Amino acid sequence: MSERTTRRQFIDRSVRIIGFAGIGGAAGLLIRRASGDPVYQVDPSKCTACDLCRTSCVLSLSAVKAVNDFEKCGYCMLCPAYYDVASQPDEKGIPTGKVCPQDALKRRVVGKVDEDDPNNNYYEYVIDEIQCDGCGKCVKACMPPAGNGSLRLEIRYTRCVECNECAIQIVCPEGAIVRVPAPGLPPTENPGKGEHA
Amino acid sequence: MLNSRFQFIRSRRLWLLILVFATLASGVLFAQYQRKPPAFGGTYSFPTPAHPEPRSALVHVLDVLMLVAGLALGAWLILKRRSRNGVMMLSIGALAYFGFYRKGCVCPIGAIQNVTLSLVDRHYTISLGVIAFFFLPLAAALLCGRVFCGGVCPIGAAQDLVLLWPKKVPRKLDQALGWMAYTYLGLAVLFAGWGLHLKIGAWQIQTGRRFLICEWDPFIGLFRVSGPFHMLAIGAAFILAGMFIGRPYCRWLCPYGGLLSILSRFSWKNVQITPDKELDCGLCAEACPYGAIHNFRADRASCLACARCYEFCPRALELRGGPGRRDDLVQVKLP
Repeated sequence: MSERTTRRQFIDRSVRIIGFAGIGGAAGLLIRRASGDPVYQVDPSKCTACDLCRTSCVLSLSAVKAVNDFEKCGYCMLCPAYYDVASQPDEKGIPTGKVCPQDALKRRVVGKVDEDDPNNNYYEYVIDEIQCDGCGKCVKACMPPAGNGSLRLEIRYTRCVECNECAIQIVCPEGAIVRVPAPGLPPTENPGKGEHA
Repeated sequence: MLNSRFQFIRSRRLWLLILVFATLASGVLFAQYQRKPPAFGGTYSFPTPAHPEPRSALVHVLDVLMLVAGLALGAWLILKRRSRNGVMMLSIGALAYFGFYRKGCVCPIGAIQNVTLSLVDRHYTISLGVIAFFFLPLAAALLCGRVFCGGVCPIGAAQDLVLLWPKKVPRKLDQALGWMAYTYLGLAVLFAGWGLHLKIGAWQIQTGRRFLICEWDPFIGLFRVSGPFHMLAIGAAFILAGMFIGRPYCRWLCPYGGLLSILSRFSWKNVQITPDKELDCGLCAEACPYGAIHNFRADRASCLACARCYEFCPRALELRGGPGRRDDLVQVKLP
């Protein structure tokens, strides 16, 4: 009886040692490869604003929101992402419909204001993040050649729960959801640091 | 013959002309929208779009610290204190923090796939937090058995807390269903790590970089109070089944539970039913909702370290010396 126990104890002890060595070895190997806290982000060069970001995120209100890059924005009066250019124009020739179904794209007049001709004024376009659902209709409308491409979809880390696997990444037809290192900027803004495909 | 040929060329030229005009016209049409950012002079400065930072490294460190603290506390509560109430409190805490606050991520079950993919594909980046979450509970299982399952895993806690009317499952069935976990583990590792295009007749499936466990996790939908319909439905089904059957996901499906089960077979310390003096009354085996007690001894591989056996053990109550049914009995006996 006692011999049996000793054998069992011996097996236990050796497996424990092998187990700890294995765990330590594998962890060590992975730690060498680990990079500083990678996070998900949308690659704007691949994104086609297909509306899957709105529907596929595990959160009921998607973590993806539209963001306006003011450096690229034309500040136009007739913004194709603001006005639905296919809708019926009013008597001044300004379209009556708006692109954003949530009315999340807000604007205010900036610079010198011309009272007589609204076409001469500049408008600053800002996304209301509480209302934006990440459908990407404005992003699509702003894409060149119609627009300047200043609007893009971005994963907002105030909402993203950093799943082991991003549910949008699985369905994204363009492979536009990529993993980037810590500050989580879109890949074009930190070139050479993006993940290899 | 000739005539028809000329007509063809003319019509093609016409189309070409129309195309050129259409392109030019559209260019003019679009030109009204495409403008360079205007020069506002000194009156206006460009706002910079806000980029909220991802969760800071400090939060990841806090996660790992919570995991280590949870494992240590769990081991102490189960192996030393033998307190069911303590384990229950710990699992409520784990459910609140890892489940509802951290929304079920990062979890070691899903980390199986990250670790696999990272080992296979060296370009796949993985964070230190995920590595810690995958390996620490495994090391803990080698030391103290499945303490992670018992008190730290939010998925386990969610099922443990809804177990109101436990029913026994026949031993044979229990063992047979237990193999599903290893099948699931194998499939998850295959789907995460290797890109294969499997085709059997009309049925085809693409593997590689697909995280099966995350796609079908029954409980993250619950923690996030949102998710695709199939996940919420499976979650509700598991919660309903969990009211009568002890932890169906943990015992028969959890792939990480499978790994922990293998390692805990060789654990240094484990749950022991009254190691010094036993009554062999069988109350513990009756109390165990997971069928983990055979011949009055806890089976290391399937014990989920919930401490229910201690709660029902008259000897353990005596040893603990705390207030319990024993004291009530004594009071009744007093004149």
